[in-house]
Amino acid sequence: MAGTQINRLSGKGLVDREKTAHFQFDGEAFSGHPGDTLASALLANGVRLVGRSFKYHRPRGILTAGSEEPNALVELRNGARREPNTRATTIELYDGLDATSQNRWPSLRLDVLSVNQLATPIFGAGFYYKTFMWPAAFWEKLYEPMIRRAAGLGYPSKLTDPDHYEKSNAFCDVLVIGSGAAGLSAALAAAKAGARVILCEEDFELGGRLLAESDEIDGKPAQEWARAAAAELESLPDCRIMRRTTVFGAYDGGVYGAVERVSDHLPVPPEHAPRQRLWRIVAKQSVLCAGGIERPILFGNNDRPGVMLAGAVRTYVNRFGVAPGRTAVVFADNHDALRTATDLAAAGVAVRAIVDPRPQASAAAEQVAGEAGALYIRGGIENVRGAHGIKSVRVKDAQGGSKEFDCDLLAMSGGWNPALNLTTHLGGKPAWDSALSCLVPGEDLPPGMQVAGAAAGQFSLQACLASGEAAGAEAAKHCGFSPSALRRPAPAQDRAPATPVWYVENSRGKAFVDFQNDVAVSDVKLAAREGFRVPDHVKRYTTLGMATDQGKTSNLNGAAILAEATGRYLGAVGSTTFRPPYTPVSIGALAGHHRGKDFRPTRLAPSHRWAEEQGAVFVEVGAWMRALMYPRPGEAAQETVNREVSNTRTNVGVCDVSTLGKIDVQGPDAGELLNRVYINAFAKLPVGKARYGLMLREDGFAMDDGTTARLADDHFYMTTTTANAVKVSQHLEFCQQVLWPELDVQTVSATEQWAQYAVAGPKARKVIEALLDAGQDISNEAFPYMACGKFTVCGGTPARIFRLSFSGELAYEIGVPARYGDVLIRAIMKAGAEHGIAPYGTEALGVMRIEKGHAAGPELNGQTTAHDLGLGKMASTKKDFIGRFMGEREALNEAGRAAMVGLKPLNPKTRIASGSHLVKRDAQATGANDEGYVTSMAYSPELETFIALALLSNGPARMGEVVKVCDPLRGNETLAEVCSAHFVDPEGERLRV
Amino acid sequence: MPILSIRKESGSVSNLESTSALHGFAAPGRYGKRDGDAGVTASERKNLGLATIAARKGQEAALKAAIQSAYGADLPDGSTSAVGKGVRFIGIGPGQWFAVSDSLANEALADELSTKLQGLASIADHSSGRAVMRIEGPAVKDALAKGLAIDLDPRVFVDGAAATSTLSHMGVLLWRDGDAYDVALFRSVGGSFWGWLRASAAEYGLEFVTTS
Repeated sequence: MAGTQINRLSGKGLVDREKTAHFQFDGEAFSGHPGDTLASALLANGVRLVGRSFKYHRPRGILTAGSEEPNALVELRNGARREPNTRATTIELYDGLDATSQNRWPSLRLDVLSVNQLATPIFGAGFYYKTFMWPAAFWEKLYEPMIRRAAGLGYPSKLTDPDHYEKSNAFCDVLVIGSGAAGLSAALAAAKAGARVILCEEDFELGGRLLAESDEIDGKPAQEWARAAAAELESLPDCRIMRRTTVFGAYDGGVYGAVERVSDHLPVPPEHAPRQRLWRIVAKQSVLCAGGIERPILFGNNDRPGVMLAGAVRTYVNRFGVAPGRTAVVFADNHDALRTATDLAAAGVAVRAIVDPRPQASAAAEQVAGEAGALYIRGGIENVRGAHGIKSVRVKDAQGGSKEFDCDLLAMSGGWNPALNLTTHLGGKPAWDSALSCLVPGEDLPPGMQVAGAAAGQFSLQACLASGEAAGAEAAKHCGFSPSALRRPAPAQDRAPATPVWYVENSRGKAFVDFQNDVAVSDVKLAAREGFRVPDHVKRYTTLGMATDQGKTSNLNGAAILAEATGRYLGAVGSTTFRPPYTPVSIGALAGHHRGKDFRPTRLAPSHRWAEEQGAVFVEVGAWMRALMYPRPGEAAQETVNREVSNTRTNVGVCDVSTLGKIDVQGPDAGELLNRVYINAFAKLPVGKARYGLMLREDGFAMDDGTTARLADDHFYMTTTTANAVKVSQHLEFCQQVLWPELDVQTVSATEQWAQYAVAGPKARKVIEALLDAGQDISNEAFPYMACGKFTVCGGTPARIFRLSFSGELAYEIGVPARYGDVLIRAIMKAGAEHGIAPYGTEALGVMRIEKGHAAGPELNGQTTAHDLGLGKMASTKKDFIGRFMGEREALNEAGRAAMVGLKPLNPKTRIASGSHLVKRDAQATGANDEGYVTSMAYSPELETFIALALLSNGPARMGEVVKVCDPLRGNETLAEVCSAHFVDPEGERLRV
Repeated sequence: MPILSIRKESGSVSNLESTSALHGFAAPGRYGKRDGDAGVTASERKNLGLATIAARKGQEAALKAAIQSAYGADLPDGSTSAVGKGVRFIGIGPGQWFAVSDSLANEALADELSTKLQGLASIADHSSGRAVMRIEGPAVKDALAKGLAIDLDPRVFVDGAAATSTLSHMGVLLWRDGDAYDVALFRSVGGSFWGWLRASAAEYGLEFVTTS
């Protein structure tokens, strides 16, 4: 029945009646207006039943008009954009909106699992804990899946979110959170003083409750004042207004987290616009003007659709021009809620009664009732009739009489709670205000924060305006500005003593405290009987205050019931801890741009494009992409690796080693620094030479290894493994700044500056010689093994050449400034073509280093010492170095310690898996018999056998012994012979030709 | 015996052609929003001389005097820059500066500094290790804010101001030159930087301009 907005009030509200927005709810077509929320549009169309509750599947309607809504949760949109548990009260209506109710089957009106209601006596607090305890194995397989199917609310889309999210940063002098009377006043005071102001409002309209009340400011309707204030703020150059932006958390250093729903009010985000944007706002000062949240009074069947908070009723009438019912009863313990009767009557809604549960009669209430044509009754709501929407309420009066009122709307109010959540995010505790009967912000606010308006317990309009202005001016002053004199005097204390009524005793039916989690008054009392005393414990036991609303409308009522049940003063019971986020934040917004390949930056070597052209397969090494291998068409992976290894060992190969960490070490004490960080000596390394070095952590375990070359007396060039480059740089910084600030040495990363290629193989020299400019000599005599020097190549390009070898072959590493890296690899390939050059990747590199018994990542695993790696003899006894002292600990020098050895399977065709454990030949594969494990394995094309490196207890003394290699993961056991880790060219003759 | 016939670039002593960090990622042209003027314009400042200067122990005063006499610039103490005779000196830490030059291209800057500051400072060449992107346009601050947690308000981040920070998880050195921002990033993350810039400037329209 599109177009029949039967509850739309004529001439009221701020929606744009010139335009119509069509939408669907549960497949039915409706219409509303721009400026509506989904909730107001549903109410306008007479829809009151919008969902089923979490546990009992009870029919639920709309309780509030804001982000505190516990009930009206729907699935918004469909397909990949489907969003479960979206609050209908915060969804801005757009043309084409499609929403579906949740937790019902087969339909909202006829829901099979609502039989759960009949079992409510069973489903008390802690039901799951008490019931599904035995047998334990059933929990995971049976109970949990069953409970998850029956309970729980909406379902997320399992498709990839098609929208883009992003994060951004903003800075200001004064952040104002909330744009009601207090927030607008604060922002105006601060911005007019010259401060940089950011004003965040979670709604799509500025004004807060000014939009919802029939108030006047300076003789004009409050809504007009709000519009003028917003316009003035817009005109100030240093005021940034952020609508649809929730400040959800306060963090250290004046940092606030906020989420901006950039495109949530549109069917799909406009081209190039993100769906949502996560803001990190850094503010010198902040003014929290988040307003208040009304609390209910609890009574039997208080969750029926049509029972609504009084303030929300006024919002629907005044802001949206919607009558949430035709016949109403008002049930309230405070003066503020009386306005509801007045506004309803003015809108033509029949108000049957004002029910006042306070012990003393109120003359003011009686007068309002008279003006609204309603009865004034002192008493309480005893019961509500009408499952899918209330039909009548039964009122029990103070004299014990009882009367039934036909109505379809019950507006209730138990007073207001300050929305002070952000004041507690850094550990502050709220304080109990006994005069106001609510928690107010405590002393211990986040640094730089002030609270104004209802969030500070300043509930009257005058107090909101005055406290907001004062806080805004004060904040500006703290930032060094001079605000002009305040316009509004602070009103006399408007702390009318409150007589809060938390729930109606002896009402009929279940009285719910937490609507979203189906927690009733009786559950809290049961928890108290079972010994729970602390609200945070009661929360975890009963689930009161959990899930999307975090108990915004239920926490204090729950605490009050707990206080009464345990015979304590409510102020002494305390509250649950509020943590960020204030309202739910989507995971997409938290991820921002960093999804998929953008999860983190990718580092690409200078030869990356060229390697792609060669069909390289890449592997991630830290953030780097390295070529794993260069397969040729039709080649299996093992064939590729064998070919790359064999070609390097017989002809010549080239490998990009640019990703290795490179650190430039300069200064008169450069040699001394290296002496102290490496276990072996470096201070006397001649200029023009390079040396392999091992560095330890302070605790004596190996940290990293690499070669360091001396380019000049006061200039060394260190290399590290790719994975540890950053760690080693930090280590050197620490040494310089903390350990030995007296050393005159300067270090800086040079990793990115140099493209470096290892050209290895018997024909390597011929290739390098073809690149060298004339008149330079790299013969074995002029440039022997471990030599280094500066050269020019390819017509004047500066190059550094190092005669280093990881492969065990005659090899040169040639480095050029990285911008020449791409053309140099092409030049190397061209120069090497006649010598059969082929590139090799990290897989072949790994095979060759295993063949040579060089320790690498799997052996440098943080648990091995120099001795374990077979490098114990390298350690200098003539100098001190990091790790020496702790390395002398007994356990690190026991004879039985696992040390590195080689392994050859007895059957050369048997693969030894990395991670396999070693036991004696005849021993059982048990933990007790464990003697070590395999760290690296490879197939050696030269030896035509699988080989491995392993850490074996007392390994070096067990050459020739046969051990059992156990791989319980795959159920394999095989025998292997312990041998030297130097499988190929153990004397290193190939390096020196 | 040069084996490649490759054109010689200006300011370089090499016969080899250099490759930009954004090569293969960023083609010149318009990205994101198409209508109206681009909100963000980006270009790469190629062939800059880039070098770090780290004062030797106890030589800071002598180093400052040497820079003043050679370039007419006062090395700044803090995250800001001083410009003199074709070189911008940016404070990146106690006793450490990052030098940027158009006129002393590529290795020439580090070579000259090494000669002129012999014994006073350790010089390291970064002319190939960093790519310097110039980002400007009316929406430049909004776009940069999506990756950079630095307050770019002109009253705070004044002309010449600099920051060593991270941009979308990438380490960067940023400085302000008039209304433009120069971002020095590590060469290897050129592709990731471009991906971030393209996404972040899309709503304002991004023009990528090549420079010779």
